[in-house]
Amino acid sequence: MSKLYESKKQYDDIEIPEELKQIVSRSIETAKMEKPKNSSTFKKWGAGVVAAAAIFVASVNMSPTLAQALSTVPVLGQIVHVVTFQEITIEEDTYNVDLKIPNVTGLTNKELENSLNEKYIAENKALYEGFQKEMEALKEVGGGHLGVVSTYEIVTDTDEILSISRYEANIVGSSSTTMRTDTIDKKNEVLITLPSLFKDKGYIETISTYIKDEMRKEMAADEMNMYWIASEEEIGFESIRPDQTFSITADHKLTISFDKYEVAPGSMGVITFEIPTDVIKEDLISDYYIK
Amino acid sequence: MTKSEKFQLVENYIIENQHAHYRLAYSYVKNKESSLDIIQDSILKALKSIDSLEHIQYLKTWFYRILINTSIDFMHKNKRMIVVEDEILDFHLPAEEMEVPDIDLYEAIDHLSPSQKTLIILRFFEDMKIEDIAKTLNVNQNTVKTRLYSTLRKLRSNMEKKVKA
Repeated sequence: MSKLYESKKQYDDIEIPEELKQIVSRSIETAKMEKPKNSSTFKKWGAGVVAAAAIFVASVNMSPTLAQALSTVPVLGQIVHVVTFQEITIEEDTYNVDLKIPNVTGLTNKELENSLNEKYIAENKALYEGFQKEMEALKEVGGGHLGVVSTYEIVTDTDEILSISRYEANIVGSSSTTMRTDTIDKKNEVLITLPSLFKDKGYIETISTYIKDEMRKEMAADEMNMYWIASEEEIGFESIRPDQTFSITADHKLTISFDKYEVAPGSMGVITFEIPTDVIKEDLISDYYIK
Repeated sequence: MTKSEKFQLVENYIIENQHAHYRLAYSYVKNKESSLDIIQDSILKALKSIDSLEHIQYLKTWFYRILINTSIDFMHKNKRMIVVEDEILDFHLPAEEMEVPDIDLYEAIDHLSPSQKTLIILRFFEDMKIEDIAKTLNVNQNTVKTRLYSTLRKLRSNMEKKVKA
């Protein structure tokens, strides 16, 4: 280990440029001029898109007539099925909540529609109640920072398939993100689950093996990519859960997703792998959903 | 503690530790301009999201986390080869009296993945405790230990390969 401490000397010898001092003080001044704000965890969403979506959603929520009118516009019609939602926001000093709840409408199978919408409300209610408990606990010990954000994204919306992903992010110091996706067969109006696509449990092994190979390939191709793969001495990704988050793309491909920190460092974010149909062909029940 | 007192504390910390922060950024990107960019970005991010610092005793791990994430993000965004200027290269070339194995080790550390490099730098160059590294990287202590151990083993085997070659 002494060698390591010796190379510390080289590290300590890294030259400090003259400009550093100036850059540090200038950056502090810049930060002082701008009002502190809480960083959002959804950087992937361009500000413009979010703004446009907010206006769109607000108008749909405010005016049923407008929603009706929009649903007759061919492209927008499909979006309107999930766009109306409830939004809960709390903005209280160091505590903030921003929950966006998706709402599916337009299915004739009301049982499915209600069960999905009830689930979305229940998920957000649980988040909200958890948040309130934590907020009270924190207030008792003198305060702190706490935030919870939930939002959703329509991953796929074709004539056959509708896929909605919900994201939850808890912000305490840093943030963690979890993602859950529901995929609905719009024609037959049923909820598709991952096991229901396959003949038996064999898919777990097939997909896990494929993903591990992909992770190794990506890591070998670029050292910026880092995944935690389980081995004899390392803890990490071993196998997908039978109900791992999945989705079906518009061109009928299966994708498998992992939460932030689930299989890789936080800097990799939420990770999604597209599984080539050839890999799982043998395990699929039919080529109805996945081709 | 009021918000402005907290801001003042963070500001003082950033000014006092700017050299250490610069070295850490430099060890990822290996050139002056990029390192200065990272420092600037990290300070802005930190001061703007000062509310995310819950307890002032976590100031160091909190700031290091921002600094490390910013450095790694920077590398992701600038995937092209980062060129080291000649005079800087000369400056960093080891002096002749240095023992050869050390040179290889410093170089070997550079060839680690960013996450593995982070572990080595924090533990051995920054003398950070396992507990604090765990807080900085947001993982548990056992994970830090396991990864640190496997990184050390990787370093050793890389160096053995080099000696044989």
